Amino acid sequence: MTATTAPSATTGQAPPPRRGIRHVPTGVWVVILSAVLLLSIVFAVTLGPADIRPTEVWGSILGHLGLDPTALGGDVLSPLRDGIVWELRMPRVLTAAAVGAGLALSGTVMQAITRNPLADPYLLGLSAGASLGAVAVILLGVGLLLPIAAFAGALTALLATLLLAGAAGTLTPTRTVLAGLAVSAFFGALTSLVIFWSATGDTYREILSWLLGSLSGAGWPAVAISVGALLVVGMPLMLTGRTLDAFAFGDNAASALGIGVNSARWLLLTATALLTGAMVAVSGSIGFVGLILPHAVRLVAGQRNRVVLPLSALAGAIFLIWIDTGARTLFDPRELPVGILTAVVGAPVFALLLLRARRIR
Amino acid sequence: MASARSFSVPTRPLAALGLAAALVALTGCAEGAAPAAEPSASATPTASAYPLTLKNCGTEVTIEKAPEKVLTIKSTSTEMLLALGLEDRLIGRAFPDGPIPAELGGEDVPMISDKVPGQEAVLDLEPDFIFAGWESSFSADGAGDRATLESLGVDTYVSPAACKEVGKPDKLEFDDVFDQIAEVGAIFDVPAAADEIIATQKTALKDLTPVSDVSALWYSSGSDTPYVGAGSGAPQMIMDAVGVTNIAAGVDDSWTPFNWESVVDANPDVIILVVSDWGSAEKKIGVLQSNPATAKLDAVVNERFITVPFATTEAGVRNVDAATDIAEQLEALGL
Repeated sequence: MTATTAPSATTGQAPPPRRGIRHVPTGVWVVILSAVLLLSIVFAVTLGPADIRPTEVWGSILGHLGLDPTALGGDVLSPLRDGIVWELRMPRVLTAAAVGAGLALSGTVMQAITRNPLADPYLLGLSAGASLGAVAVILLGVGLLLPIAAFAGALTALLATLLLAGAAGTLTPTRTVLAGLAVSAFFGALTSLVIFWSATGDTYREILSWLLGSLSGAGWPAVAISVGALLVVGMPLMLTGRTLDAFAFGDNAASALGIGVNSARWLLLTATALLTGAMVAVSGSIGFVGLILPHAVRLVAGQRNRVVLPLSALAGAIFLIWIDTGARTLFDPRELPVGILTAVVGAPVFALLLLRARRIR
Repeated sequence: MASARSFSVPTRPLAALGLAAALVALTGCAEGAAPAAEPSASATPTASAYPLTLKNCGTEVTIEKAPEKVLTIKSTSTEMLLALGLEDRLIGRAFPDGPIPAELGGEDVPMISDKVPGQEAVLDLEPDFIFAGWESSFSADGAGDRATLESLGVDTYVSPAACKEVGKPDKLEFDDVFDQIAEVGAIFDVPAAADEIIATQKTALKDLTPVSDVSALWYSSGSDTPYVGAGSGAPQMIMDAVGVTNIAAGVDDSWTPFNWESVVDANPDVIILVVSDWGSAEKKIGVLQSNPATAKLDAVVNERFITVPFATTEAGVRNVDAATDIAEQLEALGL
């Protein structure tokens, strides 16, 4: 937690960063991306299978914010169409933003503490655990609310991973990653077993949307869970950039810089698990967001985590809003599980990153 | 450590996709009852002259004599044979979608498996004919590959309405269903029984008085993403017969994943709920009432719900019953 290297990055005074490719101050990026995020939310809400004019959308939003719906040229809608805007689209867009931000943040943190450029939030078996929890509820009728079961599954998996890695010795990045792999495989197998034994009729459709990730069920409770987790866990994580930067130089260097390596790693991993667990609980396992966005941000803004953390969160939010808008409108009136689109877009981007990395090193 | 890491991470999302793909492969047939086959082409049944050769979902099947030891997979196939009076030929049934209606009998036919039975379990019964409601039941990890079964002397047949790739008709009609009943009648050399069913059902269809200006959602399953009857399969055929307008008719498929926004936008007059062992009407009504947007739908507010058993919603001998049943419920709702 002590100061590490160059000061002032967070305040946006254009430091002379060694790695910042474009010399644009962080603050400017934050302002630009925040504006894009706000515009994305407003614009995405006007898009959807139902033919609702932007002025009607405005009217609905203004009305629910306790303002005069007709101000700013808004129209008044019938209760049903108002429901489309306020009960279906709005919570879904906000959930997409929160989940995107949360996954990108988790990815950034994971990549930093495991010093593994390929790390993503699911590395520690979180998604496998969450999926098992969800499938248990859908198929076995376990008497829990689905998000709670998913969350419990994610935390169980994380605990198993950390205990396994810890029992094998100090909690090193490699051990953590390998333990996560083992736990993922085990929970994945259990999930398949449950599906094999008890999927009846087409209940497998609901399971598919969990495995692929989907925001189609996101209502206001999902907004509360995801935005709440982002505020309570995500915001503090965003301030850990200095610690993460210290990790980049290796455990020895980090402890030389005054960081309790083991305890810091446990703390950060647990926080990441909480954040990811909450996101997976509302959206299923959406892949690639946590993997790709931190890299994309680093390409533009450099390697310092103090900068990468907030920018990844913003970029993740914007990215998932638009990907999910595509998922619900591209094949209108059919819907695509959003995880398919993130993978379709994410995998080629990832391949490009790999090729680029080869050229750099 | 580089090597250990580089392979480990990206497997996660990929693994999810892989598992999902496997799931689709395993059960994906459900869409299965995807549009009908080449019905009118293959239906030329008079008195059966064996060997009887027919094209079924692109597979050529040669029947040497009327099958005597038959296994049925899915309700539609079991019920069709029972309706044709062939209960004594049935040595087993599997993968039912719901209870068999009392008037069809069949209580004594042993239930082999409540899912698709495995190859060896099937062969152990020594059937000479397997009749499946879904094409996907015939796979190496299911009841067995069609070619393999044929080489072992077991003939296979899939409800033509459920053919997946070859010979899909543009849109399933009752004539296609009648053609299938006739075709099965020919395979088993009971053309008179088939003709009788067809004649009775045609009369029942004619006696239907279609409603007009009533729109409907055919809600088959799902909660976050509703899975609904679309524009070209058995649900559309039944809705056409009773005169209701399907709000998902624009999707050219038998069933389709839909979205609640389009449902709310269309605000259907009635909602047809498909009832199965795994998806009760109460569960679906609960979904509709708990989502604030769908709770405001006219049909939900006024509780204009209609129920149909799942087994009647795939092409078979109970589709006409489903139509008359829906017509009666519409009348009871005052529509």
